[in-house]
Amino acid sequence: MTPGLRRLYVPRSAKVDANRAGEPTSVDGVAVEAVREQWVVEDRWWTPQPLGRRYFELALADGRNLVVFRSTLSGCWYQQRG
Amino acid sequence: MAAGPPYVELHAHSAFSFLDGASTPAELASAAAKLGYPAFALTDHDGVWGSMELVDACRGLGVKAITGTELTLRIGPAGGAVGGTAPEDALATGGGGGSPAATGPAGEYAHLTLLVQDAIGYRNLCRLLTAAHSHTRDSSQRSAGQPSVTLEQVEEHADGLVCLSGCAGQGMLTAAWERGDAAAGAEAARRLLGAFGRDRFRIELQRPYWRRDRSRNRWLAGLAERLGIPAVATGNVHSHGGKWRTRLQNAFVAVRLGMTLEESEALRRGNSSSALDSPQEMADRFAEHPDAVAETLRLAERLEFDLNRELGYRYPREGEPGVDRKLAELCRALLAERYAGSVHRRKAETDLEDELKTIRALGLSGFFLLHHDLLVLAREVADEVRGRDSARSILPPGRGRGSSVSSIVCYLTGLSHIDPVANDLNSSRFLNEEVGKQAGTMPDIDLDFPRDIREVLIPRVHERYGADHSALVAAFPTYRPRGAVRDLGKALGLPQEEIEKVAKMVGFHERGGEIEKDVLAAIGPERAATKRWRVLLRLCPEAMGLPRHASQHSGGMVISTRPLIDVCPVVPAAMAGRQIVQWDKDSCNDAGFLKIDLLGLGMLSAVERCVEEVGETRRESLDLSRIPFDDAETFRSIRAAETTGVFQIERRAQMSMLPRTRPENLDDLTVQVALVRPGPIQGGAVHPYIERLKRRREDPEGFEIPYEHPLLKDVLEYTLGTIVFQEQVIEVATALAGFSAAQADSLRRAMSRKRSAEAIQGHHDRFIAGALERGVPVATAERVWEQIRGFSGFGFPKAHSAAFGLLAYQSAWLRVHRPQEFLCALLNEQPMGFYPPDALVHEAQRREVRLAGPDANRSRVLCHVEWIEAELTVRIGLGYVKGVRKEEMEGLVAERERSGDYAGIADLASRCGAGRDGLERLAWAGALDALVKSVRFEDLPALPERADTQNASLASEAPVRTRSAGPSLGGRREALWEAGGAGTGVRHGEDVQMALPLEPPRAPELEPLDEWERAIADYRSIGMTLDEHPMALMRADLDAAILRSTELEEAENGGIVEVAGMVVARQRPETANGIVFMLLEDERGTVNLVVPPPVYERCRAAVRAASLVQARGKLERHEGTTNVVVSEVIELERPQSPIRRDEKMPMKRGIGQTPPKSPRRRVRERAMAELRAVAPAGHSFGRRR
Repeated sequence: MTPGLRRLYVPRSAKVDANRAGEPTSVDGVAVEAVREQWVVEDRWWTPQPLGRRYFELALADGRNLVVFRSTLSGCWYQQRG
Repeated sequence: MAAGPPYVELHAHSAFSFLDGASTPAELASAAAKLGYPAFALTDHDGVWGSMELVDACRGLGVKAITGTELTLRIGPAGGAVGGTAPEDALATGGGGGSPAATGPAGEYAHLTLLVQDAIGYRNLCRLLTAAHSHTRDSSQRSAGQPSVTLEQVEEHADGLVCLSGCAGQGMLTAAWERGDAAAGAEAARRLLGAFGRDRFRIELQRPYWRRDRSRNRWLAGLAERLGIPAVATGNVHSHGGKWRTRLQNAFVAVRLGMTLEESEALRRGNSSSALDSPQEMADRFAEHPDAVAETLRLAERLEFDLNRELGYRYPREGEPGVDRKLAELCRALLAERYAGSVHRRKAETDLEDELKTIRALGLSGFFLLHHDLLVLAREVADEVRGRDSARSILPPGRGRGSSVSSIVCYLTGLSHIDPVANDLNSSRFLNEEVGKQAGTMPDIDLDFPRDIREVLIPRVHERYGADHSALVAAFPTYRPRGAVRDLGKALGLPQEEIEKVAKMVGFHERGGEIEKDVLAAIGPERAATKRWRVLLRLCPEAMGLPRHASQHSGGMVISTRPLIDVCPVVPAAMAGRQIVQWDKDSCNDAGFLKIDLLGLGMLSAVERCVEEVGETRRESLDLSRIPFDDAETFRSIRAAETTGVFQIERRAQMSMLPRTRPENLDDLTVQVALVRPGPIQGGAVHPYIERLKRRREDPEGFEIPYEHPLLKDVLEYTLGTIVFQEQVIEVATALAGFSAAQADSLRRAMSRKRSAEAIQGHHDRFIAGALERGVPVATAERVWEQIRGFSGFGFPKAHSAAFGLLAYQSAWLRVHRPQEFLCALLNEQPMGFYPPDALVHEAQRREVRLAGPDANRSRVLCHVEWIEAELTVRIGLGYVKGVRKEEMEGLVAERERSGDYAGIADLASRCGAGRDGLERLAWAGALDALVKSVRFEDLPALPERADTQNASLASEAPVRTRSAGPSLGGRREALWEAGGAGTGVRHGEDVQMALPLEPPRAPELEPLDEWERAIADYRSIGMTLDEHPMALMRADLDAAILRSTELEEAENGGIVEVAGMVVARQRPETANGIVFMLLEDERGTVNLVVPPPVYERCRAAVRAASLVQARGKLERHEGTTNVVVSEVIELERPQSPIRRDEKMPMKRGIGQTPPKSPRRRVRERAMAELRAVAPAGHSFGRRR
């Protein structure tokens, strides 16, 4: 692996509903209890595979903690291991 | 009621954080104003480099500039009481959603944000920053280290400063929290609270959109609450906005860390949140902490310090009792001496009293006395450096340049060497009561010194006035295309070979579109279309003009009565014994600092060396102030443009002008020096001036100067109705538009500053209105304004031109009458001037100046002049041999002078301690030719002793071991053989263990280097060849149609010609509408090529980068100047390559069917390739390659 690169795990598609501010309200039908953290990654813009992601660390109503992100390039939602 | 902006930015970095900020202070100020910020704080890393620029930019924008810094603290090893992470703020990242400060040399540094509240706080900030940098050049190489202070030092200097607890990634508190040691963070907060108190310590919250922002900020807010102090929100801004500027900031981080963008992923910010957002967006970003947002406004309100008004700077002797009287007495006494019996005495007395009156009114008597003191110091230094018995000792220690040359006070006190009365110079630009009082700025005094005197003088000034009271002015090298391509290309991970190909091709002043063409020409369209190269082309224009690092100004010095470290931080410079303030010359000027320019002028050094060499070789004491200033032969050579090596008028553009302007006296030279400058060129003065000169020459009686308006007669008569000198701008604005002196000076200043293009235009309306009031037609006023606006590029004051014109004449006189010593001096002062040594040498050889190559038994370290066969000959010094250690060569020469000539290579190796590498380099350079055993030294007739003029004719009939001056004995191959077999010195640190004088085996019979091999060895080892010019060696392989430079004189004007040569210079002046000028050199002389833009585009690679070219074009001969306006340029490559494949135009012998390559041809091709690799660096697009 190229030095300095961080393994990003393989994201899975997720069905996410979001409010007008773009924050998730439910993931795969499970309601979001709280948005614990929110961060943004915009990188690799110098490569043919640029990265633009808005991440959310969520507490779900079923008690799970989950990290999802929305690709700012495709508009699709993904779930990622926290 | 309309609410004001909810937020003020209190933490921002400009490009003066050096590779951790991607906008200038002016860009930040302008963006802040547009976004509605009422105040804005600049907090660059460990410095206030850009603070004055921010103040300057904020003025008039309605934004209050707040001065501050982000200070680095040294807090001990990891796990100490207050932890930290790495020295780079940029290590604070959340790339990929990870935690900030994940890597780096853990636990040594942390950041605090300091903002200035009052004058005491500013003084403390300056002292802290000075302390932070004090150890940064302690390494043996004096490479820049990390500035830092201890927490104790901060505690001692807390008064008057507001402290914010630091950034999200590496702040004093957050770094500890990230490490999981919240207790240490809280302890640090208590300590800072103790130092700064509740009023001046704030917990800093940031929201960079990293993964743990919310939890970190909750912890920080909780800590603030427990301590009973407010938290404050900040943005940690690193650019003023725009996608590509934000990306540039990311790339800068990689550049600073010496990594690629991939490698530095974990150390970068990872998103664009560091761009400046609007106050509302920032308030929204901190929605969970509204009090922290409100606190920004409260703090900004309190930070009242105004950098412009509260510095308290004074210079030595300022306001000293009796200074007016002392200066007047000094000047009157000197006037009586200087003008005794002069026809100018009465005028001089009147001028002096006028100037003294102005000086008194401006309170500047102390200023002039200080300069006089400095000159006395310089004289002491000059005596020391030159030696009292030296031929140079009669020369003044330095000489003035710039507008100060027009002042009679400067002339009398020795600051200038030009008599302003005899030369009719006007000191109003230099000294003006109205201007001085309004602007509160100091007059400029620039002094030129020979380099060796300046080197000693600068540290001596530090000693005289105290290290805390004097320092050099800073300079900020900014990104230019080549550096941007190299730095950013590396960060993007582009192949090094490609980067270098492009970097060698790009020009100094190029813009984005031009760089793209270079990339295409250098690496082809396929590679240029790849994503990373496309990105580079977007980043490069963004980087242009941003400061990359701090450096020292060429000689600007500030001196202060009050310790300088109380008014501006002082930091060590890269050169030992020197220190710089954190402001450049514009900022120092804005701060009202007295700046003295102690400049090193290469030509002044060369002229002095020449005088010294003349004293040694001819036993002649030459006083350059007493040489005839109307020497016919000197002016003939100037008019014929035989000025290679002559100060100022050696450049190609000057040379092409000289046969047309035909200078006949020093006055003409004064105009000549000023004429070929961007100001007169862009102002449209050059061609009218030359045309009018010609008309006046042809009809001296009937010629009348066609002024734009009769009001301009008095001010433009000297320059035939054109604006050539800088002060003429002031005079024209005054005469035609009624500008007051202050208004006109404001216009001049606007033109001379790099950051005020808009300011010039601001004078336009006033100029037109003023002209109309005086009855000037609007069209005329607009035409004259265009000349003024055009002039804003750059121009010389007349006084400066007079000083430079005189030096141009003196150097031309030396070139004509003492050619050997003059060439020798130029070679010893390199790098300087327009031509590389190789071109200087060839030009001198064409004038029959004799040269001799380096020789271990004859050469000194520097070049010198000696008598050989009754002829003065320039001997190349051993210091010219590339790669040798200077101290080894000094040792070699000292041993020879102590114990006699070397008898052979083994003898040399055993006596002087040169290492094998040094011996081999000397052998390649031919410096050991005469020592090879196959031609034993003792078998040679005695070499001539250096002779004086009396016994020169008896000097020697001996054979000469020089290449240009006689047959070469011995051979480099044998020398190399013997050098390989000789025992050599072994270096142990500073000591050298001498070799035993073991006789190496006699070399077998080796084939001597042929002429090509010798030329290549010469270029490789000494950067020049004294033997056959490479074009002479190549001539046999060139088509007969390719003319030699001298043959152009016989060619038909307007005809198509072909030429070829080595490229000595290539230029693309901004004033020439895209035309490129190339200067080629062949074995007979030089050829000027004019490359029109379409040809340049088509032949870009050859024009920009080839060291040997052939060209075809139309010959244009006009008023003594010959140019070839080319239609085709190609790299002179293989002997059979045609200039264009689609045209039947054989450039080479054998064209038609490509002949099979003969072994000889293959050898020749290889030689050509090697020659191209080692060809000397010419003047290439603004700088020596």
